[in-house]
Amino acid sequence: MTHKAGWKRWLFQNIGFATALLLLIVLFLTYNILHPRGFSSAVAIQNSNETAAIAFVAMAQTLPVLLGGLDLSVGAVMTLTNCVASELLNGSPWQILFGMFLTLLTGTAFGFMNGCIVVYGRIQPIIATLATGAIAIGLALLIRPKPGGNVDDDLGWALTNSVYDFADTYGLADGGNAWWLRPFADIPVPIMLIVFVAVVAWVPFRRSVTGRTVYAIGSAEGAAYMSGLPIERAKIAAFTLGGFFAACGGLYLAIQTSSGNADIQQAGAYTLNSIAAVVLGGTSLLGGVGSAIGSLVGAMILRVISFYFRILDIDPLLQPLIEGVVLLVAVSFGAFRTLRVKNQLDLFR
Amino acid sequence: MKAAWKLSSAALVLALSVNMAVAGPEVVSGPGANPECFAPWSADTKHFQWQARPAPYRIAVVNGFVGNTWRIQMIKTAKAYAEDPAVKDKISEFKVVSTGTDAPAQLGAIEDFINQGYDAIITIAVSPDGFDRVIRLADKNDVVLVPFDNVLDTDKVMQVNEDQLAMGRTWAEFLLKELEAQGKTSGKILEVRGLPGNSVDRDRSIGINEVLDASGGDWEVVQVVGNWDDGTAQKVTADAVAVHGTFDAVAAQGGTTGVVQALLDAGHPMVPIAGESENGYRKLVAKHADEGLKGISIGQSPGLVAIAIKAAISALEGNVMPQLISVPLPVADYSSLENGVNYWTDLPDNFFTVNEFPPCGVNISGPAIMAQSEEDVK
Repeated sequence: MTHKAGWKRWLFQNIGFATALLLLIVLFLTYNILHPRGFSSAVAIQNSNETAAIAFVAMAQTLPVLLGGLDLSVGAVMTLTNCVASELLNGSPWQILFGMFLTLLTGTAFGFMNGCIVVYGRIQPIIATLATGAIAIGLALLIRPKPGGNVDDDLGWALTNSVYDFADTYGLADGGNAWWLRPFADIPVPIMLIVFVAVVAWVPFRRSVTGRTVYAIGSAEGAAYMSGLPIERAKIAAFTLGGFFAACGGLYLAIQTSSGNADIQQAGAYTLNSIAAVVLGGTSLLGGVGSAIGSLVGAMILRVISFYFRILDIDPLLQPLIEGVVLLVAVSFGAFRTLRVKNQLDLFR
Repeated sequence: MKAAWKLSSAALVLALSVNMAVAGPEVVSGPGANPECFAPWSADTKHFQWQARPAPYRIAVVNGFVGNTWRIQMIKTAKAYAEDPAVKDKISEFKVVSTGTDAPAQLGAIEDFINQGYDAIITIAVSPDGFDRVIRLADKNDVVLVPFDNVLDTDKVMQVNEDQLAMGRTWAEFLLKELEAQGKTSGKILEVRGLPGNSVDRDRSIGINEVLDASGGDWEVVQVVGNWDDGTAQKVTADAVAVHGTFDAVAAQGGTTGVVQALLDAGHPMVPIAGESENGYRKLVAKHADEGLKGISIGQSPGLVAIAIKAAISALEGNVMPQLISVPLPVADYSSLENGVNYWTDLPDNFFTVNEFPPCGVNISGPAIMAQSEEDVK
């Protein structure tokens, strides 16, 4: 009985996330049924490759949104780290690993800088990151004025395919044929990477005092302050972790395209799509409600919608319109909670 | 049990090695099929040959950015060409998607069509780099991938484009010819450039200037940046006229309607002009040619998509194809302009006129493309 009640309470508290998850499952299953090669490893690999970068950037956007702000620099930081990675990911395995470390460090440091500007400069996040985003793009253009780069071929192939191909490329586990690898062999590597980052970075953060403070700030900053919570530390930590996630996106993009491209329009598109993914995933733009896992789901929904255009016969010039309408409907699902509020004052939360 | 694993893995290895054996096109020696249409870029362009397979084919167009006239016209042209009697029977399924300026989305769409078992995929790449993985996959699955317009920095796929350098040269040669007819061997030439940092802008400008330099005449070239956009080009041309007075000739890379409009507004004398293929520009040349607006019009045609589709079908039929195809430049000048044939007074100014490639048997007229559009609205 208590177990059931707990489950119900979870659903009630996470109604946005739950509807998003349900929507994703329905959309994704239908897509696979319609696809001529649905439910195959090749389709899963393709889907996860296309989703990985936006999924990381959506996770990055979640943290500032939980604080009640917006980060307009996430796409730019992704682009910057993409360009950094395109310069560093080659040479011996140790050099490549060091290059990855430096790439992630770049994004993390940039996020830290964002946090410091917001906290000590007392500037609204949306304005601060508008400026730092332009700086990030400027740096990216400085590093890579023309698209290109020299990312290790094997690395690109291994990390954008199934676990089998990964083992095969590097001659691990009997070239991918070891018995213990069988159960995982068909899983796409990008999925493993996203899950790994989410479990190692997000889950512990969410459970720490700093992480809970981020939620508290989003709910009521004054109350959080009066409760003696470490507000400044939490804000800086949130932006720093956001920078780290954006760097993961940039790093993956470099591996996927074996190059870097300081594409301003792409950076802008990723920033806007990340906000859409965050909202789709059940995170409130007012702050205090939601999670990075929800944003992962949101990013996937965003992508799955566009997958449909490739299997259905839809006029190419109508596609953006249809995508927008579906998106609007999907976001409206999240607003269902407003139909069941008991007190009208709840609407302002 | 263990034996079963070994056996299955051996089978897998075998399957993989077989896969690798048939991977992608074979590099063969030229000449290729239909060389008037599919002209190799240069003497050392290599040739590809895929294994012939029976028609009809499934073909997809993966566009990137959508939202300017050129791209929209390109999509309409693709649809119109797929309905053309010459190719209609060879295509069983035709799909067009636009992914926006998002590299993973474009790569994903290409990979998806490979997974779906499409025979050929036509694309305008959002970036000249980063396609290594999908090229590898396309080769592995024997899919013909054809980038056009914004081509890739690789010689591993078949690509279709117009020679921008030759376009610049042809413009300059025309201007020199017209100026010579006026008895001028020196003077001031206005060059309206395109988007800075773009290879197309760079190559066209190099072409123009190397011919002018080689002519031996004393030409002062004034460069302004017009971004291939009518509004921008009109403004910078007006500024240039205000500062420099009169020019003896104008070479505009794009936004040519705006350039001519600026000359008219400023009361600038009508001089020889080289420009793109906007319908508005051709209208103006036809109207003012007698007053001295002797114009040449060459364009990067949205109809390139049709050539790319034609090339893909030719490759699927097993023909030898050049790796880099140079599509003949569609040229028209004031003497050959004819209303209803290569420009249309009843179509909008920003319509791109050149869609006819006689050597390729591709000729989708303006009204046919616009008819396609009306169908879409319904």
